[in-house]
Parts: sequence; C-alpha cells; structure tokens
Amino acid sequence: MTVRLRKTGSAIQIRWIPRYTFLERALHWGHTVTFLPLAMTGLVLFVPQFAPLARGEAGQFLRLIHRICAVFFGLVPILYALLEPHRLLATIRELGWSKDDLLWVKNAIPYYIFGKHVAMPPQRRWNTGEKLNVWIMVAGTITFGITGVVMWFGRGIVPTWLFQAAVIVHDLTMIVTVNMFIVHFFLAVVHPLMWQSLVSMRFGVVSESYAREHHAAWFYGEKRAKELYAQRLAQEQAKAQGGAGEK
Amino acid sequence: MSKVAMLYDASKCTACRGCQVACKQWNDLPGITTSNRGSYENPADLTPATYTRIRFREVEEGGQVKWLFLNWGCLHCTEAACVKVCPTGALKHHPMGFVSFERDLCNGCGYCTQFCPFHIPRTETDVLTGKGKSSKCTMCQDRITNGELPACVKTCPPKALDYGDFDAMVAKGQARVEALKARGFPNANLWGDKFLGGLGRLYVLTEAPEKYGLPTKPSYPWVASIWQDWVQPLAEASFVVGILGTALAWLIVRRNIRMEEVE
Repeated sequence: MTVRLRKTGSAIQIRWIPRYTFLERALHWGHTVTFLPLAMTGLVLFVPQFAPLARGEAGQFLRLIHRICAVFFGLVPILYALLEPHRLLATIRELGWSKDDLLWVKNAIPYYIFGKHVAMPPQRRWNTGEKLNVWIMVAGTITFGITGVVMWFGRGIVPTWLFQAAVIVHDLTMIVTVNMFIVHFFLAVVHPLMWQSLVSMRFGVVSESYAREHHAAWFYGEKRAKELYAQRLAQEQAKAQGGAGEK
Repeated sequence: MSKVAMLYDASKCTACRGCQVACKQWNDLPGITTSNRGSYENPADLTPATYTRIRFREVEEGGQVKWLFLNWGCLHCTEAACVKVCPTGALKHHPMGFVSFERDLCNGCGYCTQFCPFHIPRTETDVLTGKGKSSKCTMCQDRITNGELPACVKTCPPKALDYGDFDAMVAKGQARVEALKARGFPNANLWGDKFLGGLGRLYVLTEAPEKYGLPTKPSYPWVASIWQDWVQPLAEASFVVGILGTALAWLIVRRNIRMEEVE
C-alpha cells in the first residue's frame, strides 16, 4: 500500500505494510476496554484506601460492572478464536520462543531506554517484548477466568480453602497483569521509538522503514534478516575496535 | 470500656429456643419455612435471617441417648478474620470487644463467609448480579451500647445465657466448670477463652468440645493474613515501582532519543 501524504505532495512516499487484521485489532481493543474497568473496579475492593467507594449500593454497582466486563473479557478472545482460527494458529506459531529472545531482552535496555542504536536480533511479526506481553495476557485471562468463576459461582459450593486460594491467585494475577499493562502502555504509547505501534493497532499497518528496523525477519524473511544482522554486528565490532585503536 | 462477652452454660440450657425467638423479634427478622428433618433442631442452619439457633446433638452413651444443646451464632473473635477481609468496613471490631456489623456499608462480596473459621456470616446474593448483603449476630450492638442486655440473654428462662465483662464471664465460667466436675461431669470445660484472642461468646460445656461438633483449637485463617498483610502491600508497592519506574525511564528516553533518527 502506497500512501501519498497530502501536504508534502510527491516528496514523501510511505509504503505501509499490513500487520494486524481488523479482528486482531478488535481483539486487542475489546480486551483493553474491558481490562481497564475490570482493573479499576477490582482495585476498589482490593485497596483499603478506596474502601469508601466499595461501600453499600456503590460497591454493589461496581461489583456488577466488574461482572459484566468480566463476561466480555472472556468472550472477546473466544469470539476471535472462532472467527479467525487459522490466523490464530499461525500467530501462536509466530509467538514461539527462540534463543534470540534472550539476546533481545539483554539489548532492550540500552536500545529502548538509553537510545543506543545497537543491532537487535531480527524479529518476526512480534518482537520478544510483544510476545511476552501476549503470553502473560493469555495466561492472565485464563487464570482470571478460572478463579473468577470460582469466586462468582463457588461461594458456599466449593470448599473454603479453594475459594481462599482463588482470591489470592486472582489478586496475584492482577498484580502481574496490571504491571504488565503499565509497561505495555509505556512502550506502546509513550515511547518515542515505538510510535508506530499505536498506529498499527489503530489502522493495522506499519511503515516499511519501521518493519525493516523492528521486524526484520518478518520484512526480509529469516535468511536475509540473519545476513543483514551479521553484517551489522561486524560493522559494530569494527567500529568498536577502531574507536579503541584511536585512543 | 473493657471487653464484654456472653457466657453460655450448656448444662443449664433446656433448648427452649427462647433466644431464637427473642433474636428474631428484636432484630426484626422474618420467620422462615422449615421442614421436619427428624430432629427437634430447627431451623437446620443459620441463615441471613437467623442470627442464632440452638444446635441439638444426639450422642449415645452406655445405651442411653444424650442430648447436647449448643447456642450457636457469631462468636465475636477478638482476632476476627472477617474484619480483616471485609473491604468496606461493614464488619468492625468494636471497642467493647464484639464484632459489629453495619448493614448499610456491606456490598455483599461475601468474603467474610469464606474466611470465618466458624462459618458464621451468611451472604445471600443474586447469582448473576451479586446483589445482596451479609448478616450475622451483632451481640445486639444497638442494645449493649445503650447499657441493655442482648435480647437472647435477656429472655433466657433458665439463665443459661449471661453477659458481662469478659474477665468476669471467664471467672464465672471456670467456677461453673469446677462445680460441674464436682457434681458428676468430669469432662466439663470452658471453651472460647484461650484462642483467637478470646471469644465474645464463651461456652461452659459438659462434654469435650468435639462431642458438640466444636473444634478443640480453632485457628486464624492464615490465608487472610497473607492476603491482607503481604499480597495487598506487595500490589501497592509494585504499582508505585511500575509507575515511577516507567516515568523515570521516560525521562531518560527523552534525553537519549532524537526523533529525527527514529524510523
């Protein structure tokens, strides 16, 4: 897809590459608009400082909101799986781990925080951080679902130790996922290097240059991406040695 | 004000259930339809509208049936797990030593029912919406804070129920246990003064607690402590670290990344 920017006329041409389907984006935003109210209403019951909001009728209302959102939070991924099963399976394969992921994590801090333009191991459609986010969210959704059903329908039916365990696990899952959300928000919305991630989740496309930089294995294919990565590493090494020689 | 307690003397109780009636009357609780289960015990269990009831236990001893009565309801633990887990403050530990309940504050979450070591509070909620309230014996908080006796204590014809200062009730219970031992009840004992900080409902029993279906040494649900004393502060700390950490990262990023070079 070639898009001609209106004001700059023919000067700039950006090639946009489709990255997410409409349903993938619907899944993402469907989960977002249910996750946030779930977290907020849940925290009202959880954090003692919010106790005044949890009281009486207001508390009952918040618990109702929590339940309604929970239903859709669980329904959205199921609907997605039913509507795009083949693409989902392909995505799951893309989300597999490799030993490059460790190296990516190691390089992520100088790259994303200190702005060092170090060579990153070539990534496919999902980089390591995105994969981590997806898997934590998948595991979190399943855990929330199981413990939530125990707490919703299990009171008086399941043994109390199981209910108590469900409460604790539900809360621990909340700690992990809410912190994951904070980091995800920072990297996907706030972080200047990743401004296109928000664009891609809104319109489904990323620019060619972004794909080349952040998803080389997806853009060039595994083989070519590895070659380029090796070249880049060699360049960096030469530069480092040259720099050391001058001193 | 010092801590108060009720003292129930099983050896005096005739199971007339006057306490059940007085409780319903004072707390304005509706009657419920029950069925014959082959026992005089009625109703079968505590309900949101039944704060107190007499438990009937039939034990066979030497070919003879023995009836063990037990007045049952909130035990008003000093170390009360329900108070710990209640997210609204509807359940509180009153300075007088009982566990008070403020119905208006309750949102029906039902945590109290799942953490009470005696399974006393009852929450009746709509299965789908979760709308409802918890309830339990409040030791007649509206009476005792105004210098009156709890309704059940006031009405008890054989004076099996007593109410007063905790220490006085313990002393009275111990004296009664000694008297019972001397009069042919070698297993007589006082139950409730030595655990969970001392209960607000003490029992003089003629037999071992297990015979009444009571735990010998009930313990505080440790999960409640882990939840409120560890998981909860851990969550708050993690949010502070998460938010401050990303804010700091953002400040560093802003200094280090030139947008002209961003692809």
